[in-house]
Amino acid sequence: MDTLLRLEDLTMHYKTKAGWVQAIDNVSFSLHRGQSLGLVGESGCGKTSVAMSIMRLLPYNAKLVKGRVLFGGHDLYTLSDEEVRQLRWKEVAMIFQAAMNSLNPVYSVGNQIVEAIVTHEPETGEDEARERVKSLFELVGIPKERMDHYPHEYSGGMKQRAVIAMALACNPSLIIADEPTTALDVIVQDKILREIEEIRRTINMSMIYISHDVSVIAEVSDIVGVMYAGRLLELGPADDVFKRPKNPYTYSLMNAYPSILGEKHDLVTIPGEPPNLLDPPTGCRFHPRCDWATKECREVEPAWREITKGHYLACHNPVRTEHGTAHNKTARRAPGKGGDGIGTSGGN
Amino acid sequence: MRRYVFGRLGQVILTLLIYVTLVYFLLQAMPGDITMMYLSNPKIPQAAREELKKQLGLDQSLFMQYVSYMKNFFRGELGVSFSQYPKPVWDILMEKLPRTFVLFLTANVFSFYVGFVMGKVIAWRRGKVIDYAATVVGITFWTAFYPLLALVVIWIFAYNLKWLPLNQFIDPRLWSAAPFTANQVFGNMVYGAAIIGIGIFFIFYYLLRGLKPSRRSRAQAWALACALIAAVLFVAARKGMLIYIWDITRHMILPVFTLTLINFAGTMLLMRDSMLETVQEDYVMAARAKGLPDKVVRDRYAARTALLPTVTSLVLSLASSMSGGMVTETMFSWPGLGQTLFAAALSNDYPLATGALAFTGIFLLIAHFIADILYAVLDPRITYTGQSGV
Ligand SMILES: Nc1ncnc2c1ncn2[C@@H]1O[C@H](COP(=O)(O)OP(=O)(O)O)[C@@H](O)[C@H]1O
Ligand code: SF4
Ligand SMILES: [Mg+2]
Repeated sequence: MDTLLRLEDLTMHYKTKAGWVQAIDNVSFSLHRGQSLGLVGESGCGKTSVAMSIMRLLPYNAKLVKGRVLFGGHDLYTLSDEEVRQLRWKEVAMIFQAAMNSLNPVYSVGNQIVEAIVTHEPETGEDEARERVKSLFELVGIPKERMDHYPHEYSGGMKQRAVIAMALACNPSLIIADEPTTALDVIVQDKILREIEEIRRTINMSMIYISHDVSVIAEVSDIVGVMYAGRLLELGPADDVFKRPKNPYTYSLMNAYPSILGEKHDLVTIPGEPPNLLDPPTGCRFHPRCDWATKECREVEPAWREITKGHYLACHNPVRTEHGTAHNKTARRAPGKGGDGIGTSGGN
Repeated sequence: MRRYVFGRLGQVILTLLIYVTLVYFLLQAMPGDITMMYLSNPKIPQAAREELKKQLGLDQSLFMQYVSYMKNFFRGELGVSFSQYPKPVWDILMEKLPRTFVLFLTANVFSFYVGFVMGKVIAWRRGKVIDYAATVVGITFWTAFYPLLALVVIWIFAYNLKWLPLNQFIDPRLWSAAPFTANQVFGNMVYGAAIIGIGIFFIFYYLLRGLKPSRRSRAQAWALACALIAAVLFVAARKGMLIYIWDITRHMILPVFTLTLINFAGTMLLMRDSMLETVQEDYVMAARAKGLPDKVVRDRYAARTALLPTVTSLVLSLASSMSGGMVTETMFSWPGLGQTLFAAALSNDYPLATGALAFTGIFLLIAHFIADILYAVLDPRITYTGQSGV
C-alpha cells in the first residue's frame, strides 16, 4: 500500500515560563492512503499537538526537537512557508476541536468554503465553486439555501456539518478530525461520525480521528494509536488492539468507556491524572498510575517495538489476557511487586 | 433594518431636544449677558428700549421664552448675533460649519486609517521591534500637550521649511483679485469631494465585489476612479477654481497632519488590543489551516472582526477632536465653529454661542447615529432590533 503520512521520531516541546513542556516524544507511525487512524488518549496527552505538527501550524513557542513529518513524499519541515500553505487544505484539511468557533462570524458560511476552493484552485471560478459548495452541503445534509447565511444563524449541529463540508471542499488526501463532535450531544455525535466515515470510504480518503473517548475511535478507525503523556504506548489494527490490548493503559482506557463490542462491563475510571509534561515521570511515563508497574518501568523507558505484524507496543509488562477475560479483575496480574504503593489503589 | 434605523433616529431626536434645552438654560443662567448691556444703555431711549425688549421676547416669562426659542430653533431661526449685528446666527453658522466639519472629518478619517493599519500590522507582529517602536511613538504623540505640538509642527513646516502656510483658511494676497468668495470655492470643493468619494465607493463596490476579483476588473476599477477624479478636477479647472482649491487644501494640510499625529495612537492601540484578541480566535487558526495567504488571514479574518469595536472609536475620536476643536481652530486660525464659539463666548454673544454649541451637539449626534448604522452593517450578528444575535 501507498504510504501517505509518516511520522518519524517526532519530538516537539513547548517553551513556557516554567520550562519546556515535552508535549510530543518520539512519536512514529505511518498512514496509508484510504486508511483511517484513531488517536486516543486522555486530555493533555499531546493529541492536538500531533495534529498541529502535521498541519505545521504550531504556535510560536513550539520547537521541533527531533524527527520528521513526511507527507506524500515531502518532508514538511524542510518546505518553505509558501509550499506548506499550498499543501494545507488541498492535501491535509482539518476539522477542529472547536468546530463551532472555526467559522468567521462576519462572512457567510458558503463564502468561507468558496474562499478555500478558489484559493487552492485558481482555475475554478466563483460560480463553479458555489455549485460545489451546494453539492457539499447536500452531502453533509444542510439545505443548500443555507449557504448564504451567517454562522450565527446555524445550529450547533449544522455548524459542525458545515465545517465538515469545508474540510471536504478541496478533496484533500487526509482530513484530521480533532475531537470533532465533543460539543454535540451523543446521538448527533454518533450520527455525524458515521456520516463522515461513510463519505470517507466512498472517496477513499485518509483520516485521523482524535478523541479521548475509546468508543468513538473504535467505531471508525482502521488502526488505532494510544497516546499517553506525549508518547505512543500502543498502535495497531483496531480489531487487534481492542480485542487484545497489550498495554495496561489501553486496557484501562477501554475499561473507562462503554464497551465497543457491546458487552456490558463496569466503568472503571483510571485513578489519578496525566502527568505534567514540564517534568514527566522517568521510565515509562504511565508508571505512577499503572497497576502493572515494576522497578524497571520506573527506570527504563520501554522500547517501541513491533510485537505482531503492524501492532506496535511500548511496555515492559504487556497484558497477556485475551479480551473478555481482560475485563475480569481476577485476570489481572498482581501489580509488579507491591510495596511501592504506586497505582495499586486502582479504585476498583 | 428600517425599524432599527428609525428607532435610532428617534433616540437621536430626543437626545437633541434635551441637549438644546440644556444649552439654552445653561446660557440663560450665565451672568453678564449682552442684552442687559443693550437694555441698560442710557443712550437708548425708554420707548426704543421697550420695543427692543419686546422684539427680543424678554417681556415674556422664562418658560414662554424657552418655548418660542425651541420653536424657532427647529425652524432654523436662531436669532441675530450681537457681536456681528445684524447678521443672523444661522448664516454665520452655515458659513462656519462646513469648514469645521470638513477639517475634522478629514483629520479623523486620516487618523482612523493610519491607526487602523498600524494597529493591524503591529498586532500581527506582536513583540517585534515595530510593535514597540510604533507603540512608543504613538503614545508620545497621544499624550503630548496639544497646543505645544501644534506650535512645533507650525514652527517646523511653516516657519522653518516654509512648505506650508502658517495658519488661516486662505492666503489673502491670492484672493484679493479672486472672482469667487472663499465660501463658493469651499462649497464646490465639498461637492467635488463628495462626488469623488461616493463615486469611488460604488466603483469599487460593484467591480471588486467577489472574493477574488480578476486582474481586469481591478484595473477597470482603478481606471474609472482616476477618470472620475480627473473629470472633477477638469470641471474645477474650467471654472478657474483650481488654484484657489489648491490654496485651501494647502491650508488644511497642517491642521489635518497635527490632528492625525495626536489622534492616530488611540485607534492604533485599540485596534492592536482588539486584534490581539481576535488572533486567538479559532477561526483565525482555521483560516491558516485553510492555507489562505498570510495577508488574507490577517485582513479578512483577524482585522475584519477586530475592526468592529474600533469603529466606535472613530466616533469617539471625532467627538474628542471636535471638543478640542476650539484649540485647533485657534492655533491654526481656522475660521470654523470652534473659533466662532470661542469668540462668541468671550464677547457674550449668546445667540451665537447657543447656536454654535447646539450645532456642535447636532454634529456629534449625527456622528453617533452614523456609527451605529455602520456597526450594524459591518457586524451581521447585530440583529436590527438592537440586540446582538449571538
Ligand atoms: N501553546 C502551548 N504552549 C505550552 N504548552 C502547551 C501549548 N499547547 C499545548 N500545551 C501543552 O501540551 C500538552 C499537550 O496538549 P494537547 O496537544 O492539547 O493535548 P490533547 O489534545 O491530547 O488534549 C499539554 O500538557 C498542554 O498543556
Ligand atoms: S507495565 Fe510498565 S511499561 Fe507497561 S505501561 Fe505499565 S508502567 Fe508502563
Ligand atoms: Mg486536544
